[in-house]
Amino acid sequence: MLGTDKERGTAVASGRPGSRHRWLALLLQDRFAFAAALVLVVVALCAVLGPLLVGDLATRQNLRDPGREPFSLEHGWAYVLGSDSLGRPVAARMIAAASTTMSVAVPAVLCSLVVGSLWGMWAGFHGGWRESVSLRVADVILSFPSLLLAVVVLYVFSPSVAALVLVLAVARIPVYLRTARAESAELRSRLFMDAARTFGTGGWASIRRHVAPSVLPTLLTVAALDFCFVMLTESSLSFLGIGIQPPDVSWGLMVAQGRQELRSAWWIAVFPGLAIVVTTVSATVLAAWARLSTDPGQRWRRGLRGGGRRVRAKAGGAVADAPVPDEGLQSPAPDQDRAVAQDSHRDRDVTHDSRDRDVTHDGTATVTPPSESTRSDALAVESLCVDVHTPAGPAAVVRGVSFSVRFGETLALLGESGCGKSMTAHAVAGLLDPAAEVVGGQARLGGENLLTLTGRARRRLAGPGVGIVFQDALSALNPVQTVGAQLAEPFRIHERMSRRAARAEAVRLMERVGIPEARSRAGAYPHQFSGGMRQRLLIAMAVALRPRVLLADEPTTALDVTVQAQIMDLLGELRGEQRMALVLITHDLGLVADHADRVAVMYAGAVVETGPVARVFAKPNHPYTRGLLESVPAEQHKGGRLNSIPGSPPDPRSVPAGCAFRTRCPMAREVCATRPPTLSPTGADRAAACHFGKELADA
Amino acid sequence: MFTMLRRRALSSVVPLLVVVLGVFFLARLTGDPANLYLPLSATPEMRADFAARNGFDQPLVTQFGDYLAQVARLDFGESLRTAQPAAEAVLRAFPATLQLAGWTMLLALVGAVVIGSVAAYRPNSATDRIASFLSSTAASVPDFWFAIMGVLVFAVTLGWLPTSGTNGGAAWILPVATLLIRPFGVLVQVVRGAMVSALSAPYVKVARGKGASEARVVFGHALRNAAAPVLTVAGDLAVGLVNGAVVVETIFGWPGIGKLMIDSVLQRDFAVLQAAVLVTALAIFALNILVDVCHALLDPRVRLRAAA
Repeated sequence: MLGTDKERGTAVASGRPGSRHRWLALLLQDRFAFAAALVLVVVALCAVLGPLLVGDLATRQNLRDPGREPFSLEHGWAYVLGSDSLGRPVAARMIAAASTTMSVAVPAVLCSLVVGSLWGMWAGFHGGWRESVSLRVADVILSFPSLLLAVVVLYVFSPSVAALVLVLAVARIPVYLRTARAESAELRSRLFMDAARTFGTGGWASIRRHVAPSVLPTLLTVAALDFCFVMLTESSLSFLGIGIQPPDVSWGLMVAQGRQELRSAWWIAVFPGLAIVVTTVSATVLAAWARLSTDPGQRWRRGLRGGGRRVRAKAGGAVADAPVPDEGLQSPAPDQDRAVAQDSHRDRDVTHDSRDRDVTHDGTATVTPPSESTRSDALAVESLCVDVHTPAGPAAVVRGVSFSVRFGETLALLGESGCGKSMTAHAVAGLLDPAAEVVGGQARLGGENLLTLTGRARRRLAGPGVGIVFQDALSALNPVQTVGAQLAEPFRIHERMSRRAARAEAVRLMERVGIPEARSRAGAYPHQFSGGMRQRLLIAMAVALRPRVLLADEPTTALDVTVQAQIMDLLGELRGEQRMALVLITHDLGLVADHADRVAVMYAGAVVETGPVARVFAKPNHPYTRGLLESVPAEQHKGGRLNSIPGSPPDPRSVPAGCAFRTRCPMAREVCATRPPTLSPTGADRAAACHFGKELADA
Repeated sequence: MFTMLRRRALSSVVPLLVVVLGVFFLARLTGDPANLYLPLSATPEMRADFAARNGFDQPLVTQFGDYLAQVARLDFGESLRTAQPAAEAVLRAFPATLQLAGWTMLLALVGAVVIGSVAAYRPNSATDRIASFLSSTAASVPDFWFAIMGVLVFAVTLGWLPTSGTNGGAAWILPVATLLIRPFGVLVQVVRGAMVSALSAPYVKVARGKGASEARVVFGHALRNAAAPVLTVAGDLAVGLVNGAVVVETIFGWPGIGKLMIDSVLQRDFAVLQAAVLVTALAIFALNILVDVCHALLDPRVRLRAAA
C-alpha cells in the first residue's frame, strides 16, 4: 500500500472505497504488471513450499537416468525440464534453487533497506558533518566495484549464505543511504519541518512522523530494483564458484554446471538462466508500475493513449465529427455556435480571399496588412474544442471557443486560471501537450485552418504566421544555448540565413526590444539575464519574423509591476509597428482595461462574453463578467465590502449540465439547468452566452 | 573549470586511499599464501624463509607502510606466482580491458541515445512500450548466462564465432555483446526518461513555435538538455563494467584486468591484486573527472557554478 495516505486526496479512481481494493484494481488494469506480480508470487511460493515439494529429488543422484532430454512427462513432472549428467531432475533443482536464492536476496535487501534508509534519513535530517561523512562513506563503498568487493570478502569469510547476505547488504547500503538522504534533505528545507522543529519535536520523532512517510514510496521502488541487482550478483558469484556452494542449489550454480555440459545437454544451462531473467524482469516491471502509481505527477500518463500527436493531426475542421464526451460534459450545441461566430463576423469574408492568396501561396513572411477600414480578421477561431486525456477519461477543457482578432488590434482572452484560455492559445499555435487533443473547431489564419495543418505546412506558419510568448521566460528559453543562437534560429529556419547574418539579425532584435549592450550579451546564457530581460528576449524571438498574430500567454505574470508595464508597452509598440494582431491571455482585469481593444471573457472552457473592452467593462452583459468586475477593489467602493463570486469554477470533468456558471450565478433560473446558453449578440459588436444577456444589456 | 577539477581531485583522494587500504588488509585476511606456494611438506624453516623473503613476517602496519613507500617510488612489488613485477602484469592486462570497455560504452551510448530518443518521442506509443520492455529485460539479463547462451548458439550450434581468445574481429563480438547488454538496457531507460522530460519542457514548445523541424527540436534542443542525467548514469555504469569484465573475461578467457584480479585473489597474489585494484581505482577516478568535464562542457550553468 505504497503512499496511500498521500494519494487519498488526489485519487482519481473514484467510487472504490478502501485503498487496498483500489490498488488491486489498479494492478488488474495493467495486465503487464499483473503478470509480473503473478510470476513473483509463483517464485515466492516455490521458495517457501519448494523444500516440501521436492524433498531430496534435487540432490539425489540417479545414475540410471543421466542426461534426459526435456519436455517429456514419461518419468514424472520433475523430469519435464530434463536431467543432468548425474540424473538429477532440472525442474526439481530449479524449485529448490528458488528457495536458496530467496534466502539470500530477501534478507540482503531488507538489511540494506533498513540500515541504509535509517542512516540516510538521519543524515539528511540533521545535515552538517553527519551528512558529509555519511556521503563520503557511501562514495567509498560505491567507488569500488561491488563484485570485486564481494570476491575479496567472500575469501575472508569463506562462502556461506550468511556471508553472501552480509556482503550484498553492505554493498547496497549506499544506494538507500543516498536516496533517503536526498529526499529527507529536500524535506528539511520545507517549511513544515521548520514548524515541527519549532514545536520541539525530537529528531527521530520528526523523522518517523514527517520524513519516513514521504520517503518510503521511493525507497520501496529502489528496493524492488535492488532485489534484481542482489539476485543477479548472487547468481554471478555462485556462477564464479564463490557464492552458494554445493550441495546447495542456486540458479547461478546450475548455469555454471550447465556450462560444463553445454555441448551435450543445453537444457541444464538454459532453464535456470530463464528463471533468473523472468524473475528479475517481473520485479523491474512491478517496480516501474509502483513508481507510476505512487507518483501523482506521472499518473496522468496512464490515461494517455499512444501517439497523441498523431491523433491530433487528424482532428478535422468539422465540429460534427467531434466525439461527444459524457453527459454533462456536452459541449455547447456546435451548429448554433458557429452560426454566431459567422454572424458576428460576416463582413470579413469579402476581403478574405484576395489577401490570403498573397500569404499562403508565395509563403513570404512579411505581408502588408490591409488598412484598418477593411476590418479583416487576422485570426478567427471557431468552436474550438480541446479534450485532455486523464485516467478517468477525456476532460473537455475547451468547449467550443470562438473569437476573432483583427490586424493591429489587441484582443484579451480573460479568465480565471483553469478556464482553458492557455489551452486555447496552445491549440491555435499547435503546441498542445501530447495528453491534450483538438477534437473540433477551426482556427483560420488567412485561408488556412491551423488545426488541420501538419508537418511542413504547419512549421511554415510557425513564426511568420503565429508567434507565441510564454509566461515563464526562464523555462521557455533553452538553458544550454546562448540567447543569440536562440534568437537567430527563426532566421536560420525560415529565411535560410547564414549563421553570421542571422546573428546580426538577432543582435538587431535584441536592440529593438531594449537589451543593453546587445552585441556582447548575445553570447550570454538565459540564466545570466534578469526576469524582465528574459521576457524581452522571448518577445523578440516571437516577433522576429513579424507574425500576423502574436499570442501572448500571461506575458507579465511572473514579473513585478514596473517591469510589467515596460513589457506591455513594448508589446504595444511592436503591435503598432508590425500591424500584427495581438491576443493577450491574462487573468488581470487591469491589464485588459489598459492595453486591450476588445475582450473575450472565458469561463469553464467557453467564451461567455465578447465586446469592446470599454463597453464590456462599463456594462457587462453576462453575470460572470459582472461578478469579476465587482470583485476588483475600486476607488468608489472604498470602505465597503468587496464582492466576490461564491464557489469555485467547475472541474473540467464534471461541468454542470446546462449553463456552466449557473451554480455560482445570482440570476440562475430553471432554464439555466436544462438548456446551455449560446453566445448570442446583445448589441453592436457584442455577444454574451447567457439566457438573460439581452435583459442585462437593456437594463 | 580548474577550480572545480582541483576540488574534485582533492575530494577523491580519501576514497582512493580507503580503497587501497581496504584491499591491502582484506587481501591479507584471505589466508596465508605459504599454503599455496609451498609444498604441504614444507618445514617451518621454509615457511619462515618464504615469509621473510616477501616481508610477511613484519606486523601488518609495517607492511602497509613499506607498501606505501614502494608505491610512492612506483614500485608495485613482484608477483608471487610469476616473480615478475606486478606493474608489468597489470599494464599488460589493462589495455585489453580498456579496449573492451571502451567499445562497449561507445556502442551502448550511441545505441541508447537513438533508441531512447525514438521511444521518448511518443511516450506510451507501441514503439515506446516495446523499447521499454526490451530495455528493462536487457537490464535484467544475467551477463554470465547471456554469454553462455551466445556461446551455445553462435559457437557450439552455428559455429560462427570463437568461444575465446582475442584474435580477429569475430572474437570481440560475444564479449562486447555480453558486456554491453546491461548498460545498454539501463541507458535506454535513462535516455528515454530524460528525453521525455526535456521534450515536454517549455523551451521545446518555443522551438516548435519558431517552426523548427522535429529533428532540430529533438537533436538541437532536447538532447543536450537531457545529456546531464545520461552522463551521470553512464559514468556509474562504466564503473560497473569492472564487474562485468570479471565475468566476461573469465568466460571468454580475455586477458584483461578482471581476470587478473580474480586470479590473483584465488592465488593470494597480493602484489598483483593491489596493483590491479590501484590502477582500476585510478581509472575510475579519471573517469569521474572526465564525466565532470563533460558536464561542464554541456551545461553553461555548471561552468558558472564551478567558477563561483
